[in-house]
Amino acid sequence: MSGYQTSFDLKRCLIDTVMAGLISLVVFGPIVGIVLQGYSFQTEPKRLAVLIGIVMLGRFCLSLFLQTVRGQKIAESFSKPGGGVHVLPPHHKSNLRFIIPILILLAIAFPFFANKYLLSVVILGLIYVLLGLGLNIVVGLAGLLDLGFVGFYAIGAYGLALGYEYLGLGFWSMIPLAAVMAALAGALLGFPVLRMHGDYLAIVTLGFGEIIRLVLNNWVGFTGGPNGRPVPNPTFFGLEFGRRAKEGGTPIHEFFGFKYNPNAELIFTFVVLVIVVLAVLYIKHRLTRMPVGRAWEALREDEIACRAMGLNHVLVKLSAFMIGASTAGIAGVFFATKQGFIDPSSFTFFESALILAIVVLGGMGSTVGVVIAAFVLTILPELLRSFADYRILMFGILMVLMMIWRPRGLIRISRRGYEVRKGVPPSAAHTRVMPTPVTGKEVTP
Amino acid sequence: METARGMRLRLLGTCPVRFIRLVLSCSLASLTVHLFPLRENLIVDGIFLQQLINGLTLGSVYGLIAIGYTMVYGIIGMINFAHGDVYMVSAYLAAIGIALLSFFGFESFPFIIFGTLLFTIAVTGMYGYAIERIAYKPLRNSTRLAPLISAIGMSLILQNYVQISQGARQQGIPTMLDGALRFHIGEGFVQLTYTKLFIIVASIAGMLILTYIIKYTRLGRMCRATQQDRKMAQILGINTDRVISYVFVIGAAMAALAGVLITLNYGTFDFNAGFIIGIKAFTAAVLGGIGSLPGAMLGGIILGVAEAQFSGLVNSDFKDVFAFSLLVTIMIFRPQGLLGKPQVAKV
Amino acid sequence: MSKIHRNGFLALAVSSALGLSSFAQADVLIGVAGPMTGANAAFGEQFWRGASQAAEDINAAGGVNGEKIKLIRADDACEPKQAVAVANRLVDSDKVVGVVGHFCSSSTIPASEVYDEAGIISITPGSTNPQVTERGFNAEFRMCGRDDQQGIVAGDYIVDQLKAQKVAIIHDKDTYGQGLADATRAQLNKRGVKEVLYEGLTRGEKDFNALVTKVRSSGAEVVYFGGLHAEAGPLVRQMREQGVTAKFVSGDGIVTDELVTTAGGAQYVNGVLMTFGADPRLLPDGKAVIEKFRANGYEPEGYTLYSYASVQALAAAFNGAGSTDGEEAAEWLKQNSVKTVMGEKSWDQKGDLKVSDYVMYQWGPDGKYKQL
Repeated sequence: MSGYQTSFDLKRCLIDTVMAGLISLVVFGPIVGIVLQGYSFQTEPKRLAVLIGIVMLGRFCLSLFLQTVRGQKIAESFSKPGGGVHVLPPHHKSNLRFIIPILILLAIAFPFFANKYLLSVVILGLIYVLLGLGLNIVVGLAGLLDLGFVGFYAIGAYGLALGYEYLGLGFWSMIPLAAVMAALAGALLGFPVLRMHGDYLAIVTLGFGEIIRLVLNNWVGFTGGPNGRPVPNPTFFGLEFGRRAKEGGTPIHEFFGFKYNPNAELIFTFVVLVIVVLAVLYIKHRLTRMPVGRAWEALREDEIACRAMGLNHVLVKLSAFMIGASTAGIAGVFFATKQGFIDPSSFTFFESALILAIVVLGGMGSTVGVVIAAFVLTILPELLRSFADYRILMFGILMVLMMIWRPRGLIRISRRGYEVRKGVPPSAAHTRVMPTPVTGKEVTP
Repeated sequence: METARGMRLRLLGTCPVRFIRLVLSCSLASLTVHLFPLRENLIVDGIFLQQLINGLTLGSVYGLIAIGYTMVYGIIGMINFAHGDVYMVSAYLAAIGIALLSFFGFESFPFIIFGTLLFTIAVTGMYGYAIERIAYKPLRNSTRLAPLISAIGMSLILQNYVQISQGARQQGIPTMLDGALRFHIGEGFVQLTYTKLFIIVASIAGMLILTYIIKYTRLGRMCRATQQDRKMAQILGINTDRVISYVFVIGAAMAALAGVLITLNYGTFDFNAGFIIGIKAFTAAVLGGIGSLPGAMLGGIILGVAEAQFSGLVNSDFKDVFAFSLLVTIMIFRPQGLLGKPQVAKV
Repeated sequence: MSKIHRNGFLALAVSSALGLSSFAQADVLIGVAGPMTGANAAFGEQFWRGASQAAEDINAAGGVNGEKIKLIRADDACEPKQAVAVANRLVDSDKVVGVVGHFCSSSTIPASEVYDEAGIISITPGSTNPQVTERGFNAEFRMCGRDDQQGIVAGDYIVDQLKAQKVAIIHDKDTYGQGLADATRAQLNKRGVKEVLYEGLTRGEKDFNALVTKVRSSGAEVVYFGGLHAEAGPLVRQMREQGVTAKFVSGDGIVTDELVTTAGGAQYVNGVLMTFGADPRLLPDGKAVIEKFRANGYEPEGYTLYSYASVQALAAAFNGAGSTDGEEAAEWLKQNSVKTVMGEKSWDQKGDLKVSDYVMYQWGPDGKYKQL
């Protein structure tokens, strides 16, 4: 730790501050200081001065901080790639053993004290967890940058609305069907484009997502176009949750004879959603340990080596694409159910970007990270409601700051290390009875 | 045994690709055959030519913005999603520049345009520099996707910052250049407004200047060196960090040129204006081969002309569907874009 | 409305963690929901200005049932997803008893499901899509007309006054714009005029030259546009630049002075026609209120007075029913008429205004619109 200087260079700080002030004068001057009024303008010098003052103060504090030992360490960490996988000690037991049961308990307890607003926000968060998990397979594990993920989400949502309208399908039958439909769409898109390299794939998927949205918007006769389509309320063995039965059935509170609860429908959606999320989490957890999961990650790291080893890159990528897409399809069904009405404006490119942000912010390939990031990014805009007009601005600033703070995501991928035993040949180590089998088992939280 | 396995995989993997290629090319061919006999009087009435002009102006604007995407991508391999919003900021700056100059009593059109261009390019360039410093530079050594996400955040910041400081209303500038060239063809006529002429000329000029800078100046050589091999360039004594900053400034400057031109032509914009045009310009950059400067211009013009002709001949409802389908089709046949160099993976 | 489970410390902790604050129960809380941010933020601003002024005036005059009105600003950014979230928030956390909003029909429709479940009365000042009141909700009202009413007025005007045979219809592929265009098309077809062109443009774009060339080659005498001013301005400008002299007719989506800005000058909007409710600023009822707005340096254009009147209607309904119960207030509003800043208003069983007052306006060479 000898390389760090400990004295403060005040002159440099001041130069930095003045420079920052000048730049912010040029940058903010015209936009903040001069406000267009029709074809003329008015000046707002006070606002401008405050803003520049804030920037200069911030820059001054920052350059002071960067001269402390801690600051220098942080600055140094930016210039390091910092890649790779975090390897845990062989007998490491993840904290998740405790965290997951606690979370499940919390999820069970939640409907009892939550109100409608909390429920709807948490349901939205869970929907984004599903989306994030799906995209995580595509981007995080298989390394395919997909900017049109929202297309599969739309297929699921519209599958429910249109399936109900034309075929009389309901919530329950659509959950598996939407998964299949979205997976098929994924396959259809995947076959021709998966041979492409990273970024070309990104733009083609972006085009695909936009095409789906535009077709939904323009094909008025089938999808209702911009007018959207109503979505049926979910039922529980044919029982409805509304105060009055809309489809001619019996409301559930009359059937079981309890008092009408306006939250019942949301609680029901919440419960089913939690079960689905847990199932997807488990499936994904297993998949990453199966040969196909290994193949995804291997392909992400080095495609040429994989092909040289005889791995069929198209099939492997396609499987990732289809599994990711089917997860999004299921998320779409829940979204449509929660909204009760869908139209194409819910499936814009911005949505794809948000899902991608969840995956990257969570830490590519990390499941726990994705879950956390999904909640952060959906609940954050709600938390920021007290900022009123500055809400989305704050959201953007936090997004940039979080990225700078944790460029590799909130949670890094970590693996359990191999245990090497002295004096025991590796083949014998496998057959020995050990408390935890260590052969290639990793922890992917 | 190895060969047999290879064969089986090939059959599984490649055949559907070929099949889909075949289907796509057949459908494209039949579409072309079906579309063109629709209107025999197209050429006679000059509608076709008029749509070509419409497409050219739109396309050259796409091309100018696409340059920003393609340069940044070429040099650091990052999709700069905030670039569309940099264009949006420049549109505001253009209007403010015009308002300022007319306020101080300047009236001659060339002077106002020239002054506004200088002002807008300078300030927008500073925006490019500041954005790169704040949002991308700390992520230089991180994963490839991290700057992408911070770019999305930056795009939100720019939009809302402009909305808060300038208000949510539609803004605009007064019409400055009236009149048009009109050519009579058959019963109809083809018309080229002076503003459109100005756009086409100015974007060609902008492209020429940029090509000169990249090809013949010291800065251009440094850019090209950094693009080819950043590490090697560093070893040879090029301050690549600074070069990357310059690239952002140049990209922003081209967006500023586009901002002034678009504002002149359409006269109106709002804080949301960067989004759609950003996506279109990005599409154009990829179409032409991302990383290639002439490719960006070509991609822009192809996209613009295709959109105009499609909405003229078929239906404007589906023109964006057509644009994106065109992109997907071209990407299937030429994954590296029209003028892009194929990526050679090094082992 | 049954009471929501809310026991103990945990609930308090969670809700305070989510930044919710509780308000004094003595106030009459009314939510004002609209696009306070995003592309349509200008309309959200109009809603808020109108509603705030109304609340201030009503409070000064004694309030509702002796209590003060307190407004809660709710932003949906015209996104359906956010509209549902904010509606739930208004209902559950803020405990509003009435809602003025939303603006975009695509937000109003899913949000009103939430209000209906909770039995809260809501009035939209600006959502003109027929679907809003067609779904059998008891307490969903609107302060404006419906697109189908507007389409009838526009269609009749085109046939009777403009005597046009060739009409091109353009819309912006949005709930509002396309709904309006379809309504007008239906009326035109009913009157025996078949459109020569029916196409959509993309919201947010500015280049419609290709479409305009198509209009030119179709030889249309009238162009009807269903959409908002952000696209109407460039569209009419590009028409005039390409030498298309067809009459430009549109709906209430272009009712703002910004149309002149977006069109690049008053010379382009000269002669543009539009349907809109009889200008509330011309009515004698609202004179004092309008003076108040102008004194504060704000021109109450567009939906400002609609929003003002919506708050008045809510207040009147609560006063009339003697309680803030949504069902009772809705029942009262359907039986009685209310004197608002926009004149005497009454509602039918669906919640639509009984009298649609759409009339034709024309923009003049000075960049101002006048009732014809």
